[in-house]
Parts: sequence; structure tokens; C-alpha cells
Amino acid sequence: MLNRRAFNLSVLLAASAAALRPDSVLARTQDPDEILLNRLTFGATPGSRERLSSLGRADWLKEQLSLPPDDRALMAHLRTLTLRIKYAQRKGKSGPLWAATDELRPLDMLHTPPEERLKLTQNEPARAGPERRRPAHEVIAASLPRAVHAEAQLREVMTQFWHDHFNVYAEKGRLSAAFFPDFDRDLRAHALGNFRELLGKVATAPSMLDYLDNSRSKASPANENFARELLELHTLGAENYHNAQSADWRDVPRIEGGLAAGYVDEDVYEVARAFTGWSIGVGRRIGSAHLPATGQFAYVASWHDPYQKRILGRDFSSNRAPMADGEEVLDMLATHPGTARFICRKIVRRLLIDDPSDALVARLAKEFLRWSEAPDQIGRVIQMLVEDPEFADTPPSKLRRPFELLAALYRTSGARVGSPEGRFYWQLASAGWRQHMFPPPTGHPDRTEDWASSTVMVRMIEMAMSAHEPWFDTTRDRLDALMPKDVETFGDLTRHWARQAHGDPGDGLDDLLQAVGVTPEDPLPKDAGDQRHLAAMALTFAAMSPRYLYR
Amino acid sequence: MSDPILVVIFLRGGADALNIVSPTADQNYIAARPDMLRVARGGDAQGIRLGDGLADVEFRMHRNARELADLFAAGDLSVIHATGLTEATRSHFDAEAQIERAASGGEAGGWLGRWLEAEAPGGPLPALAVGTAMPESLRGYHPAVAKKLSDLTVATGHWLAPALQARLADGFGDHGALAKTSQELLALSKVLEHRLWMPKQDAFRTYSPSVKYPGRNRLSPALMTVAQSIKEDLGLRVATVDYGGWDTHANQQGTFDRNLRGLSLALMAFWRDLGPRQQDVSVVVMSEFGRRLRSNASGGTDHGRAGAMLVLGPQSKGGRLLGRWPGLHNDALEMGADLAVTTDYRAVLSEIMAGHMGLKDTSRVFPGLDAPAPGLFA
Repeated sequence: MLNRRAFNLSVLLAASAAALRPDSVLARTQDPDEILLNRLTFGATPGSRERLSSLGRADWLKEQLSLPPDDRALMAHLRTLTLRIKYAQRKGKSGPLWAATDELRPLDMLHTPPEERLKLTQNEPARAGPERRRPAHEVIAASLPRAVHAEAQLREVMTQFWHDHFNVYAEKGRLSAAFFPDFDRDLRAHALGNFRELLGKVATAPSMLDYLDNSRSKASPANENFARELLELHTLGAENYHNAQSADWRDVPRIEGGLAAGYVDEDVYEVARAFTGWSIGVGRRIGSAHLPATGQFAYVASWHDPYQKRILGRDFSSNRAPMADGEEVLDMLATHPGTARFICRKIVRRLLIDDPSDALVARLAKEFLRWSEAPDQIGRVIQMLVEDPEFADTPPSKLRRPFELLAALYRTSGARVGSPEGRFYWQLASAGWRQHMFPPPTGHPDRTEDWASSTVMVRMIEMAMSAHEPWFDTTRDRLDALMPKDVETFGDLTRHWARQAHGDPGDGLDDLLQAVGVTPEDPLPKDAGDQRHLAAMALTFAAMSPRYLYR
Repeated sequence: MSDPILVVIFLRGGADALNIVSPTADQNYIAARPDMLRVARGGDAQGIRLGDGLADVEFRMHRNARELADLFAAGDLSVIHATGLTEATRSHFDAEAQIERAASGGEAGGWLGRWLEAEAPGGPLPALAVGTAMPESLRGYHPAVAKKLSDLTVATGHWLAPALQARLADGFGDHGALAKTSQELLALSKVLEHRLWMPKQDAFRTYSPSVKYPGRNRLSPALMTVAQSIKEDLGLRVATVDYGGWDTHANQQGTFDRNLRGLSLALMAFWRDLGPRQQDVSVVVMSEFGRRLRSNASGGTDHGRAGAMLVLGPQSKGGRLLGRWPGLHNDALEMGADLAVTTDYRAVLSEIMAGHMGLKDTSRVFPGLDAPAPGLFA
């Protein structure tokens, strides 16, 4: 809800509701540095503007591509954070199963080894649901402070990209929740790295194996869920699904090297067979197999369908080495030109524009294939994109999505972010953004039109107005305290927030001053609460402009 | 009678229609699935018999859909079985995109979007997508998207609301993603504020339905928003509601049974809540595809082909099973695996648009459709 507290300054009671037409900000040309920061980070800050201007664009990008995950300041900050865990007691037949719990706990699950977290998934002892889901909740809680504070901003942007690309609904099951910290760590570690390596991590990640049911897939019939999404969402993409054009797998056209240009349902069935037995070390007997208690990937040979297969037109012989079927499928997919185009188009869609030119996608796909063995393959593609003339020539048209807007608001204000109650999750969910909890495997959509809706717009306004309120419970920093001491007049106030938001104090918030009924020279009220409220409105008015919402 | 209203409930994920409306005596059906994944003729899992069945085949409704069977018996609900896309796809993305666009020749927009664009109905709220995202079917039109009506108001009650609204009205220009959104939102916000805002209480008036909706049910709040929009006379013509969770590849029984129970109870509550306004409303329940006849080795079912569509509303003659039942013999199955599509889903939607919504030329909404109407209104 909005802050509707009565505002009782006499000067404000005389406020005129008449609004001044805001400057035509669309017409104003924007600073290329500002655009770069808004595309490759979660929003410009005074610090990042300074870094970019001192290094220059090329070196700044190089630095962003080489920064490792988890800088020291961020890690220290995450160690100070807590997240509430709360549940009622439950009685069993012979005494209490668990006691009522309500405490603020540090985010320890992010560092607990998987075999320890495995215990959270076992039936005995009985545990409350929030205990079992705790690892996933900690990753979600850490995601916003990471987005706001990580030095490796581009890596963080791409980590979120891969989370949507390889979507896992973290709470789908006990296993997906327990091992979600490992999945998050793998995506971050390889976010700018080699696609085949990343794909291999994903295909063996317990969270993914649980989410898309492959951990239960055995001969026969195999479970097709993972196989289909691997082809349709993770690699070749629906654009290379040839089912409508080719009634039979023999009809699918071939590309250089003899592989099929795309896939049909028969390929899905065969790929599903290739991944039978790719499971999780859950530490118990399931049917004929005993799975080790590792909480990590486990291959169950007795579940594997070992016989001959034909995938994308290539024959696989029977009884190959353990995991060889699945590994070869991943090899074929990771280096397929269809995958290169699909992945590159999605990267451009994330960082630049919804519908990039085919020529740009083709240039990047070529680079993607050229460096398919390189440890920095993805980073090279991004670098080529940023250096491409189309990058500079494309005006901002991508709407910040709810998570990105919220992170940007905190970067604009300079507030330190934690979320002891995890409440930001629900604020974002009301705008359609379910951080790490998006049920369908497609992940959050990435086209601007999907977010340019009435409800998202209402929520964006509410977030801007209230992100720094105590009840929002994401930062302890108050906006009045975040303003420099020399902000003394209303003009100082609007200039400060325009500069924080846009890097340019000149984008006047004259309409705000007019509505409040003051001139730029009028002194700010002394009361901290009033200052806080006015600062929130200045931030809101600055944020509710095309140059802030489009990147 | 007011202008007719269409409500589309989409069961996302591919609902297992063979476990909703089922040929319970078919030996192929019985052999293909364990007890927990099919409707039975007797015992604990006994389904509710639906009239005389279809083409001499006995059909029963799953026991968790008792209210749907009641609506069927009352003559309000029809079932059209073996419906779906004529072109085979077993991909969620592809199937949903195709089925919601319903454009064989690559025409722009979704089927509801095309109708709204051509019809251009007046009123402050002609189309509402309940939820936080717009479905493909409404593509090409700018529907309101919200979980509840109060979500469509801008900073109501805030002392700076007029200035903020003015900034939105002027600041986003005539093009760009937010231009149209902000204009329409501000107009709607004004109307809703006038209707629902209680300044003294500093709160929105909450909706009081005339019947109790089932609690702990994902569908209830969405259908309450639709019912409220209808009763507030906001000019609603089309509403879409997503009800997900039907992609049951593993351990299907618990999830599926809960989902179906939720659908059945919430839809019945909505229908009773409408009271006399039932006269204006048709509800279509559909999914992107059905699921495989044979279950897999993890207690679930994989993506299949034909599903079933449900049509609720007094304009059509309910209490009937329509369509052509292809049977479940191996030869009758598509690729030897899936219930074959014998009714183009567009034929069902097209008949509703003509018979209920009064659309004279359906070819604009369903270009290239050349399939007989299943006979909902015959």
C-alpha cells in the first residue's frame, strides 16, 4: 500500500494540484555512458559513473567481464544479513514433531555443503516446511542485495539472465529447494564463461534434475520433461522445432556436418532415453538402485536405456560408456548453429532490444561458434555485441522489469539492502516477478510488451514511492539520511534526485515543485519525516520518466 | 440483457483430459494407466456418469469434478472431447502460442485481441486479463491486466496523486511501450476511484460475492475479480483467467486431483455468484493439449495431443458430449500414442463467438478456418 499519511506542513497544505508539463525527456539525447550502465548493470550509481568515466568504455567492459563473483565487500555484507524463519509447532502421535519457531537466522545455507542440506529432504526426522525450503529462501533473499551491491554487475545481470533461461521453480520439490544454492552458484560462476560447461552444470544440477523430473527418469518409458525443455528452451529453441514442417524425422533438412537442422518429437523421445539414469544422490534405495548420500549428481546405470538411438540424425550405438549418451547430446546441442542463434538472440534481447536484426544475431552466433571451446565464450559474445555499431545506435526501448527496477531504485538512492522478512519477494510477485519461483520452465518473459501492462505500471509507481519505507522492510537506510548535508532547498532536493537517477541534475522535477506549491529557493522542512517523504516523492517523480524506465 | 461476455479459463501445462472426462469402460484406457491416473466405473474412484455418453461410449467425469457434472446434468455445461490443434505439436510454448493466436496464416495478434480490435467495444473495462501477465490470446489489444480492480488505480488517496498522474499522462509521449498503457490506466483509474474508493475510510470497497467461494483455491480470487467486474457494469466483454499447474510429468495424482477439485468448486461458486447475470456470460475452459494415453514410469503422463474443452453458459445447449470420439485403439491414436484430434479447437471458439458473442463474420477472428461447428447451439 502507498504511504498516505497526512502531510501537515502549512506550506504544503496550500499545494496546488495543477501540474506542469514535464520536460520532453524523450527528445533529449542521452549520454552513451548512462545508457551503457543501464544496459549492462542493475542501474547507474555515482560510483559506477565515475568508474566508467575514469576507465573509459573499453576498459570498463573488460573489467566487468573479468571480475570474479563474490567480491569481498559483498560477501561481508551477505554475512551480516538475516532472514526470518517462522512456523507453528506440530504435534505427532507420540509428542511434538517440532516446536514453534520464530527467529532471525543468518544465510548459512548458502555455505553449507550439499550432503548437509540433503538431510533437509529426508523424511526423518520430521521438519517444518520452511526448514526444508530454507536454502531456496536464502538464495532468493540474497538475490536483491547481490543485484544492488555486487561489484561484478554484468556477471550479476547475466546470472539473472541464465536463471530465466534455465528456469527452475526453486520450491517445486524438496530437492529443488535444498540444492538451489548450488544451482545459483554454478550459474553465477559460468555466467560469462563457456556455454557447454554451463549446460553441463545445468544438466547435472540436482535442482534442475528435480524440477524437470529427470531424476526419476528411467527406462522405460523415459520421462520426457527435461529432454523437451533442453531442446526447446535451453539450446535449439522453439524456433528450431520442425514438427510442423516435417512429418517424419527423415524429412528434417540437414546442415553442414550431417546433423539435422532442427528437432522433431522423435528427437525428444530419443534425448529422453539418452538421459535416463541422470539422477541425484539422495542417499536411499529407489527400486533396484541405491543412490549415494552426496546431495549431488548421481548416475544410475541400471536405470539407463542403453540401446541404440538416433538423435538429430546421428546414430548412437548400444551400450556405450556411462553418461556418454547424455554428454554427446550436450556436445551436439552446445555447438549446433541453431543453438548459437537462439542463445545469441536471447542475449541481445536481454541487453539491447526485443527484436534484433538477423544480421546482428548472425554476427554474434558466428562468434559464439568460433569460441565454443573458449573459457570466456559468453563474455566474448557480449563484448562483440557492446562493440557493435548497432549497440550504440539503438535508442533505449527495453522497459526495466520489476526486479530490475527495484534494484535500480536502491542503486539510485545508495541504500544498503537486506531483507530480514523477505518481503521484497511479495512486492515483486504482485508485479508478476516471482524471483526464482516462476513455475513454468520458460522463465520470466523478456519482451517489453510483456511488462508494459497496467498492473506492472501501478506496482512500479508503488515501489518507487515505498521501497525505502520501514514497512517495505528491505533497507534500514532512510532517504533523508541518504541525502548530502548540503541539500537545503527544494531545488537542491530535486537536483539531487535527478542527478542520482539520471546522472544529470538538469532533468527538472518542476512538476513536483509546482504540485507541492514551492519554488526551488524555498527551504526544505527541517523535520526528518517530512524530508524523507519529500525525498521519496522526488525519487518517484525522477523514476517515473522514460529515461529511467527504458534502458 | 446486456452485451454478452466471454470468460476464458486456460489450464496451463496441458491438462490430462483423459482423466477428467473419461471413456471408463474402454479396455485400452484401463490397460494404459494405473488406477490412480484414471476414472473408474466403480469403487472408490468411481466417476460420475455423463448422460448417454458419446457415440455409444460411456463417459464419466472424475469424482473431483462433481460440480462440473452437476452443471452438465443441469444442462448448462457441454463437453467437446478430442479437441486441439490440427497440426501436431507437443511443446507447451508452441502449442500455447498457436492455440492462443489461432492464426493459421500468421495473422497478427491473438484471437481475442483480433476480435476486440475489430469490435472496439466501449466502456472503461472492455477486456481484463486477470493475473499479472497478458495471455497471447489478447495480443494485439491493450487489455487491463490485474489481479483485482483496485490494482488498476494510480496512487489513489495520495496527496500528490494528481501531479503524479499528470506526469504519467504527459511524460510517456505517443509511442513507446508505456504510452498507451499509461493513457488507458489513468482513464480506468478515474472510473474505479469513483466507484470503489472510500475516502473517509482511506480504503477501497472490497467485493462481497453473493455466495462463498472455496478457500485455499488459486482460482477463487481470479473469478471473484471477474464476477465483480461484471456486476460493476464496467462494460466487460472478455476476461481471461490462467489456472496453471497441469504439467504433471511425475507423481501426477495428488497435484491433478487438487487442481481439478479447485477448478470444479471455484467455477461452480462463480457461476452461482453471477446469479441473473449468467444470462450474459459464457465460460470456456481449455488447455494447450491433453496428455499421453499411457503413463510413464514416474507416475505421471507426458505431453499428448487432443484434450477436451468445456463450455458453460445458458446460450448453448448444455448437458451434451460433443465432437467425434476417435477411440483409443492403437491404430486410432496419433503416432500410436496420443488421443487424436477430431475437432479443431477453433471450430468450438468460432461457434461461441458467433452463437454467444453475436459475431457475424468469424473469418476475421479465425482466418482460414474450414471445419464444421460442433453444434453447441444446434
